[in-house]
Amino acid sequence: MRLKSYRAFQALILAAIGIFLLEKIWSGTLFWYINQRYLILIFAAGVAFLALAQTILASRQKKHDHADHDHHHEQTYSRWGLVIIALPVILGVVIPQRPLGTAAIANKGMNTNAPLTVNGSATSLELASTDRTVLDWIRAYNYESDVTKFDGQKANVIGFVYHDSRLAKDEFLVGRFALSCCVADATAIGMIVKSEKSASYADNSWVRVAGTVSAAEIDGKKIPSITAEEIDKVSEPEQPYLYP
Amino acid sequence: MEILTRLFDSLSTFTTIFLGIFIEAAPFLLLGTLASGFVEVFFDKDSLTRIIPRNAVGGAVVGSLLGLFFPVCECGVVPLTRRLMKKGMPLSVGVTFLMAAPAFNPIVIASTAAAFGVGRVLFLRMILTAIIAIITGLIFSLQKNPQELLLPIEMDAHEETQTQIVAPWTERVRQALIIAADEFFEMGRYLIFGTVIAAGMQTLVPQALMLSVASGPVISVLALMALAIVLSICSTVDAFIALSFVGTFTTGSILAFLVFGPMVDIKSAIMFMGVFRKRGVTYLVLLPFVLTVLVTVFINLNTTW
Repeated sequence: MRLKSYRAFQALILAAIGIFLLEKIWSGTLFWYINQRYLILIFAAGVAFLALAQTILASRQKKHDHADHDHHHEQTYSRWGLVIIALPVILGVVIPQRPLGTAAIANKGMNTNAPLTVNGSATSLELASTDRTVLDWIRAYNYESDVTKFDGQKANVIGFVYHDSRLAKDEFLVGRFALSCCVADATAIGMIVKSEKSASYADNSWVRVAGTVSAAEIDGKKIPSITAEEIDKVSEPEQPYLYP
Repeated sequence: MEILTRLFDSLSTFTTIFLGIFIEAAPFLLLGTLASGFVEVFFDKDSLTRIIPRNAVGGAVVGSLLGLFFPVCECGVVPLTRRLMKKGMPLSVGVTFLMAAPAFNPIVIASTAAAFGVGRVLFLRMILTAIIAIITGLIFSLQKNPQELLLPIEMDAHEETQTQIVAPWTERVRQALIIAADEFFEMGRYLIFGTVIAAGMQTLVPQALMLSVASGPVISVLALMALAIVLSICSTVDAFIALSFVGTFTTGSILAFLVFGPMVDIKSAIMFMGVFRKRGVTYLVLLPFVLTVLVTVFINLNTTW
């Protein structure tokens, strides 16, 4: 490929990556991929990619491009190199996007050891019991040595339905993915829900569960269980993950 | 139909994880290539050779501390290291920097302190990182001819004549940006290839397998190192991930995760291939691996933490 057209494609791909990132922010789907605290970083990167694209495009007009020599090695000009860099944008456009679902649990597993932070655990305990998220409950259980102190407290949580094979027929897990950085480190966490109608809720559908908490066990590990008083089907939250 | 649905689910999970790693890593790779571009244009060879001691040990120690001034993670450090070596940094110093900088820098010190508090884990993470990086660098310094381990840098092979001419600073910034863009395309290929493999393994290999061996002094170390390789998470946040293993996993294995993860994972190992020859890449993966296993298993066997 000639340098001039190579530069044009470079600029095009850089601009595409920039627009791709900014569109993710604009549509709110950025949080399907990474922790919300990276918002500013991604915004800055989106703008930087666009600025870089503009610089490359402008440099095509100049005579003294630093790489404008015939003896220059060929790999920089390779078409495949360009295609590979464009791959994330291509995949992002071609394959319908959605956040991690229960299908990912098959490999990621259900983690009963929630990510704790030194400060976070104490804050979870200070919340009123009905304000606690699934993550707050798991943290509280990991933090306290005597979990029976939570017995009888009221819980009100939102999460996806997951029928874990280790559970009884009238039980399911109300789960969330917790992620520190990006979906690569996402772990599924969940609380047991006891309900006669367990079978009528499909995996990966979203519910709000209200009820009374008691301690239960999975594989020898104490996790909170809710005896459901009310289960409502809800739509998936805009931010499907929880951030420790 | 069942199979099709499951196939689509897997593809969807794969894409989400792939894009997650890419979106998170791309800004850091861009930062690294920008740093590299500006080093190329605004840094002359003499200033670098003045900072770095001549003898191998002194050089390696300085290399392990340079991360404090260049806060890069494991994506950005690769292009920057290559650039610094091209500017005359000795191979051993470059390798020490490459191994140490992703963990031994202000951002990671802060995130580790936030996760574990200022204490033993933070202290040991930094000390072990520096020691292992320095030893790896010193072993590389035994190589008489660095070109046997490094790939030749053909890219912008002749711009030196250009930087000799004192160009106006706007022109030099433009040069730096073009170098950065070229390098983003060059290193980005390795990053994306590594991300595809990491996301593929996350979609196909059950992690429960690795997490089921938490207590053996040796096997727990190997398990968390395998996890660090597969997860390929950014060194700036891995402390928070490691925190979820406290209580179930041995302290040595958590340290192994925190020390080895920033040095080698799937995406960084593949990025090494853009800078080093095969033999060099093998050393860069194996030396830190063996050293980390030795040190952290020693900790497991000799302490009661």
